[in-house]
Amino acid sequence: MEVLKEKVEEEEEAEREEAAERGEKMMRPLETRREEPPMTQEMLRDLEKKLSEIEIIIPEQPLIVTKDSVDISKLPLSYRSNTLKEEHLLQVADNFARQYSHLCPDRVPLFLHPLNECQVPKFVSTTIRPTLMPYPELYNWDSCAQFVSDFLTMVPLPDPLQPVVQEEEKVPPKKYAIKPPRDLSSRFEQEQNMKKQQEIKGEKEKQRKEEEQRLLELEKAKIDPLHGLRVHAWVLVLSGKREVPESFFIDPLTARSYSTQDDHFLGIESLWNHKNYWVNMQDCWNGCKDLVFDLGDPVRWEYLLLGTDKAQLAVAEEEEDGMNDDEDMENLGKEDEDKSFDMPPSWVEQIEISPEAFETRCPNGKKVIQYKRAKLEKWAPYLNSDGLVCRLTTYEDLECTETLEIKEWYQHREDMLELKHINKNTGLNVDYFKPGHPQALRVHSYKSMQPEMDRVMEFYETARVDGLIKREETPKTMTEYYQGRSDFLSYRHVDFGDRVKKLALNSAESNPRPMVKITERFSRNPTKPADEDVAERVFLILEERIQLRYHCRDDHITASKREFLRRTEVDSKGNKIIMTPDMCISFEVEPMEHTKKLLYQYEAMMKLKNEEKLSRHQAWESELEVLEILKLREEEEAAHALTISIYDTKRNEKSKEYREAMERVMHEEHLRQVEAQLDYLAPFLAQLPPGEKLTRWQAARVKDECLSDFKQRLIDKANLIQARFEKETQELQKKQQWYQENQVTLTPEDEDWYLSYCSQAMFRIRILEQRLNRHKELAPLKYLALEEKLHKDPRLVDFLKVFV
Amino acid sequence: MQRLYDSMEPRVMDEDMLKLAVGEQGPQEEAGQLARQEGILFKDVVSLRLDFQNILRIDNLWQFENLRKLQLDNNIIEKIEGLEHLVHLVWLDLSFNNIEAIEGLDTLVNLEDLSLFNNRIAKIDSLDALVKLQVLSLGNNQIGNIMNIIYLRRFKDLRSLSLSGNPIAESEDYKMFICAYLPDLVYLDFRRIDDHMKELAESKHQYSIDELKHRENLIQARLDDELAQQMELEKHKAAFVEHLNGSFLFDSMYTEDVEGNKLAYLPGVGELPLTYKDKFVIICLNIFEYGLKQQEKRKLELDTFNECIKEAIQENQEQGKHRIAKFEEKHLLSLNAIREELDLTNIEVRIVEYSEDITELFNVLMTLEMQLVEQLEETINMFERNIMDLVALFLENVQSLYPFLDDPPMAQCRDLENHHHEKLLEISINTLEKILKGELDEDLPEDVRALFVDKDTIVNAVGASHDIHLLKIDNREDELVTRTNSWCTHLVDTIHKDEIMRNRRRVKEINQYIDHIQNELDNLECGDVID
Repeated sequence: MEVLKEKVEEEEEAEREEAAERGEKMMRPLETRREEPPMTQEMLRDLEKKLSEIEIIIPEQPLIVTKDSVDISKLPLSYRSNTLKEEHLLQVADNFARQYSHLCPDRVPLFLHPLNECQVPKFVSTTIRPTLMPYPELYNWDSCAQFVSDFLTMVPLPDPLQPVVQEEEKVPPKKYAIKPPRDLSSRFEQEQNMKKQQEIKGEKEKQRKEEEQRLLELEKAKIDPLHGLRVHAWVLVLSGKREVPESFFIDPLTARSYSTQDDHFLGIESLWNHKNYWVNMQDCWNGCKDLVFDLGDPVRWEYLLLGTDKAQLAVAEEEEDGMNDDEDMENLGKEDEDKSFDMPPSWVEQIEISPEAFETRCPNGKKVIQYKRAKLEKWAPYLNSDGLVCRLTTYEDLECTETLEIKEWYQHREDMLELKHINKNTGLNVDYFKPGHPQALRVHSYKSMQPEMDRVMEFYETARVDGLIKREETPKTMTEYYQGRSDFLSYRHVDFGDRVKKLALNSAESNPRPMVKITERFSRNPTKPADEDVAERVFLILEERIQLRYHCRDDHITASKREFLRRTEVDSKGNKIIMTPDMCISFEVEPMEHTKKLLYQYEAMMKLKNEEKLSRHQAWESELEVLEILKLREEEEAAHALTISIYDTKRNEKSKEYREAMERVMHEEHLRQVEAQLDYLAPFLAQLPPGEKLTRWQAARVKDECLSDFKQRLIDKANLIQARFEKETQELQKKQQWYQENQVTLTPEDEDWYLSYCSQAMFRIRILEQRLNRHKELAPLKYLALEEKLHKDPRLVDFLKVFV
Repeated sequence: MQRLYDSMEPRVMDEDMLKLAVGEQGPQEEAGQLARQEGILFKDVVSLRLDFQNILRIDNLWQFENLRKLQLDNNIIEKIEGLEHLVHLVWLDLSFNNIEAIEGLDTLVNLEDLSLFNNRIAKIDSLDALVKLQVLSLGNNQIGNIMNIIYLRRFKDLRSLSLSGNPIAESEDYKMFICAYLPDLVYLDFRRIDDHMKELAESKHQYSIDELKHRENLIQARLDDELAQQMELEKHKAAFVEHLNGSFLFDSMYTEDVEGNKLAYLPGVGELPLTYKDKFVIICLNIFEYGLKQQEKRKLELDTFNECIKEAIQENQEQGKHRIAKFEEKHLLSLNAIREELDLTNIEVRIVEYSEDITELFNVLMTLEMQLVEQLEETINMFERNIMDLVALFLENVQSLYPFLDDPPMAQCRDLENHHHEKLLEISINTLEKILKGELDEDLPEDVRALFVDKDTIVNAVGASHDIHLLKIDNREDELVTRTNSWCTHLVDTIHKDEIMRNRRRVKEINQYIDHIQNELDNLECGDVID
């Protein structure tokens, strides 16, 4: 209950800017004082009698606060008692309630003065205290409501029908809304084939529909019994101030805004702000759709205090379905009240939200929201050591046992991991990264972290030297997509064969899979003629064949092709055949002379051989890179370090240390300055008559006095040290004497004590000696320094200069 | 310049020498074997080195069309010649020769690196064509005038220059001067110029350089202006109305008109040409503007046409490409299938199937092409009609055939001229009468007075002037008409020709492709038979 109430206050707090301010501004002058109906003394008496007879069922706020962590005794007095004015207000409220229940016996008792955490009845309006918070996020309703909904935890009431909050009804996912059945008749006649398909579709549709229906039934069944009976408090923001175009509701638990026309709001019993309390007199048969939020209209809104404001304010209130007759009951006993009676000031303390709490947002930094077939968990940043801030789990069934997929959002990760998406059905994991991963990883989707399995890695290609965009892998292939390379390579596809069996461990590093085929595609290089610009080259490694396909000329539809067979053969005489015409089969769109030459073909082939080697090497390197990335990912997952902004002064250890060091330095500096500013002359100048100018003689005297005083102090200090030194020495001598005399009879303890005393005394003597020596050394220097300083003192300098 | 090999006989660059050099410097090892088998054509040679050959005269290099790098250092060449055909040359080394003047490099527009180290050159010039020049080596020469450096300012890409060993390099200011005048230079005498040096040089020679820059800017501006004017004139010419935006035509009417000029001295005639000229010029301007407008229209028409044609062709090509790509996919499969098929009858069947595929592809491609031809034909004809109409309209309006405008301008010109002629005649006859009566008080020049002998003479003179004027107008008109018409026919012809060429090329391409595929299949068959 506390929580809930606090919530309401909080709520109001949140709306304070809009609400309070608007309240003032929107206040409309009451054009017409309400006509007081002619009432005779008789009637009054009669009424009074009647009223006193009524047994009011004052809503016994039965919600005894559950076990509470709040220490009541520490709360201020205003929490524990009522002031006179508050008492008065409570009486007024009671009176109001009495008349109300008399006039509207069908309606639910008003929610006027629930007990607070100290079991003291408090009028609801006084629980609201407008406060301005130092966070810009809280200035606007949406982020503010978001905060409130995060900051508060909902605790369901033991009885959802008692006046407080029930929210369930509001979760409105319409995901499975029934689609209108398809009209199949027209197509039915047209084609047999079509018909069949449609039939199947229709069947499926029907099944699905039934399924949905069933599911919906399930949900409905759960909801029905309480429909319209629950009570709930929410926030109404009235149009007007701060450019709010029209009134709307905010549900505090979800931070969503609803139109006042929304179906979920079945009616309004009453509303209040920190200044007044209004009872709805309008018929709510159509939910809140027809309500008019003109609080100044006494026919529609019965006010409790004839106070200053009848204008419009934001309000929380109770909702109930069974609102019906709004009998005429204007001026209900209002005239009894003192017209100048106004709302007493709020008894609650100002809300204080520390920056930590604000950042943490949720209680303990964690919040779980259960949705239909989904669960949303939120954490404050840095709460989880792996940077997890949000997790959305969706389930297959309503009971939330079968997990469908999990989405996890991270923040401040050093590896820039942003979102992890786990699909439980397919077993597919997708990791999304923000720019800045050491390997420029953007998306990594995989089923297992084992190498040579199905996986797709996408990269931030601008961050990579090789312009790689995407690398797809299956157990037998690897496909890479590139962009913006200077060699115009755009695509490389590698087919792997079966690994040669080896005893050693299989991995890409030690025993790479043999490549069977490498396909590379290039985009058009505008500086080369199309006939010489290779569009695709295929290295069939096992067959020792290289296929080239060139780009197509602008005005052509065929492209040149060339195929090299690089089998080296030996002719009949045993000589190596270097190049024969049938080793290169080419189709040229426009036959050229020089390409027919064996020499040209030979050179081209040699070049291709080299390039094949290079391509193989690059493919191999890609494999290695995959391994490396996988290793890195595993390390990152294991370490999951978080980054801390240098502006985050609390968390950033380095900057904290630095700041503290700076503060220390500043402090020392300050001390030194204070010392430096010590005015030696002050006591001597004080002796002189005040307000007079110094004479030369006086100045000289002041100086001399100051110096002699300082000299005296130095001597005193020296004497003091000397005296202590002598005292210590004497004592030590005495002890030594005593020891020598009693040496024989001493117990070992005494001897120990004596020895330790001796060493301590010796230490003290030594220190004193050192200090004395130091003092002797420094004293003349200090004296000279003071003299120098006095010479330069602005008050004396004019007079002393002359002597110099 | 005494050299060790001066004692040797000067040699001639003959075929043998070149062959030897090419052979030695050509591909080695396996490739060399191939090269020897096939022989190397001179035009395939990219780089050639002919140093220490005692060559006196550069000759016989015209075959090396594709040469990129040529080294002729350490010879006794005296004159740069015979390099005109080596237009692709990038690198030319003529160091350690006896060259006295830079010449014969005017066609080598691609040259980037030129070395003339250790020669007898006294002046830097004749390098204008070498716009891409980056490295110039002129050390150990006889360049004596430091102002000669300014010539090098025109080479915007020049980064390395060497001039040591020249008389100018001995002057104290040598480095400073060069750094100041060639601010983009990075290396001087193969040493990097440091920034400090540059700054110093700049401040030292600032005034003279500023002046120089100013002059250069002026020249540049003038060139730009001229270019702009040239462009403008071209534009006008394209509209066939050049020189009509002023009094050019009018002036030309009077330049050859002796009598007319004489008659201008007559009293009262002086004012006539003025108003006449004004009106005339206005009409010319009308024609001019109308011409430009029409030109715009024609251009727009042509652009639209080109764009549409291009789109159509593009689309057609895409279709063709798509077909071929589809075929090729299948083609690979079927080839492999045939290769792997063992049963002879199956092979037969597959080959037949495959041949059918090929034929079908051929048919499809040809159909596509024929479709396109028909479509284009239609469009071209339409365009032809439209452009003809436009031209005809233009000419009609400019001439006087139809009064499309308020008054056809050329006819207006003639009317004006006729009117002017009548007035002139009237004045002349009046003057004649006055002269005959001896009432003329003004003095006329002798030759003018000579016209006023009798009526026939003066009428003839005025008539002659009028004829000349009319002739000029007619000529201009004829020129306009013929040029416009010829442009039009030329345009249409070109379009037709282009289309035919395109069609030929495509058909050839398709045939070639089909032949290639067929060949592949045949080879396969042969191979199978052999196997």
